[in-house]
Amino acid sequence: MNATTSPVNQYFKALQLDETDSSLSQEILENCGVDIERCLECGKCSGGCSNTHIFDFTPRKIVQMIKIGDEKRLLHMDSLWCCVACHLCVDRCPSGIDIPRIMDYLREKAITKGIPATRPTVELFHNLMLDQVHKKGRVSELYLILNYNLKSRQYLKNAELGPQMFFKGKLNPIPARVKKMDQVRRLFRPKPGQKGEAR
Amino acid sequence: MNVAYFPGCSLHSMSREYDVSTRLVCQHLDINLREIEDWNCCGATAAHSVNHTLAVGLSARNLSIAEEMNLDKVTAVCAGCFSRLKAASHELRNNPHIKAEVEQMLKVTAPVKPEVEHLLQLLVEEIGLEAIREKVVKPLKGLRLAAYYGCLLTRPRQIAQFDDPEQPVSLDNLLKTLGAETVTWGHKAECCGGGYAASDTDIVLDLGGQVLKSARQAGAEAIVVACPMCQGNLDMRQKAMELDFRLPIIYFTQLIGLAFGYKSGQLGINKLFNSPMPLLKSKGLA
Ligand code: SF4
Ligand code: SF4
Repeated sequence: MNATTSPVNQYFKALQLDETDSSLSQEILENCGVDIERCLECGKCSGGCSNTHIFDFTPRKIVQMIKIGDEKRLLHMDSLWCCVACHLCVDRCPSGIDIPRIMDYLREKAITKGIPATRPTVELFHNLMLDQVHKKGRVSELYLILNYNLKSRQYLKNAELGPQMFFKGKLNPIPARVKKMDQVRRLFRPKPGQKGEAR
Repeated sequence: MNVAYFPGCSLHSMSREYDVSTRLVCQHLDINLREIEDWNCCGATAAHSVNHTLAVGLSARNLSIAEEMNLDKVTAVCAGCFSRLKAASHELRNNPHIKAEVEQMLKVTAPVKPEVEHLLQLLVEEIGLEAIREKVVKPLKGLRLAAYYGCLLTRPRQIAQFDDPEQPVSLDNLLKTLGAETVTWGHKAECCGGGYAASDTDIVLDLGGQVLKSARQAGAEAIVVACPMCQGNLDMRQKAMELDFRLPIIYFTQLIGLAFGYKSGQLGINKLFNSPMPLLKSKGLA
């Protein structure tokens, strides 16, 4: 990999300090109940992180970027789309900074603002899954995978797993439908002030 | 003991053997599992990744049905479902804003009573290892197993409130109670790649591959799991990971059932991808 385009290289890029802003920390405190100011800058979160080797910004750096209000880069970063929500960071953090919750919050905000995912297939998969929950209340794994392959144009992805699963009687395409679907669907209502379906 | 049971979508489709073995084992231990009526999907990784209120709301609905059924304990065997249910319960108890929002959407009072526990926790903490030992008729002698907990059984600690978040021992203790041996290894609570199996397979090949190699290096003959997502990631991708171990990935409920004297066929052990049958036969266990 070329040194100048390597994602790791971004880690060493100096932060832009001329436009710092504390409103994002405040927003995170109000919406996630996480007080960024309690960060001790020890770096244990990054040390524990499962996927820091592929992140463009490590958890430790993400916390720092929130402190200085670097919202633009936070909403565009690839880490949002490859955090595996393993909770190692928050568990090792001496201040209990809930980074996975912050990741969810920032991702939701990025989606609401129409910022494209750096890994479109990840977002697509989430959406297809939630479409099924919206339609039936439950998810058929087979239907989800087939639909995902179709929409992501990877028609033969995982096809080699198909026959074996068939012979093992693992493919059950028809999940039961939830009876009180109206109740489930109300959860999908857009929040006041938001346009479109909030999902 | 009456317990509300949340099977979740996987157990109704690809991981039916987990559902079947869970029900058998619970029946054997006089745990009366009552499936939450008309339950809905917990939203898994997708919901909490893109819409926090939806994620809490989906699990709140399931908890409220359990409450209506007059059950104050809810159990799940999928670590993902368990985590979603328990995180929702935590939010409803501690975040009045989201509680009000969800109540208004669901038109029910938020269910704050039911306690959520993964079945593993229920077995080791409430039924107890002694009671389990008494029921063992076929000890799993000679089996060398890697107990795998993954992420969500024990983390985040303030929500899971079970075992040690990175050096858990409950499943090891349970397997030893059944007569098996467990290996010491470094990846018992590392991530398998979770919900990325389809959408970003490389992540699962990387993280899941590390888990498999570590178990193998420690000398394990099989990995024991307590989650259908971990099972799928570790069992079905070994070829794609270019690992030729064919390491069986077995549900803990299947092994309890085996030790209780049930046949491998009754427990769906033959439904697993890398068949544990040769291993079990070589130890006289199947
Ligand atoms: S939850 Fe995300 S950020 Fe935290 S350790 Fe896991 S992968 Fe890293
Ligand atoms: S572990 Fe916690 S305190 Fe340490 S740098 Fe990370 S967020 Fe800050």
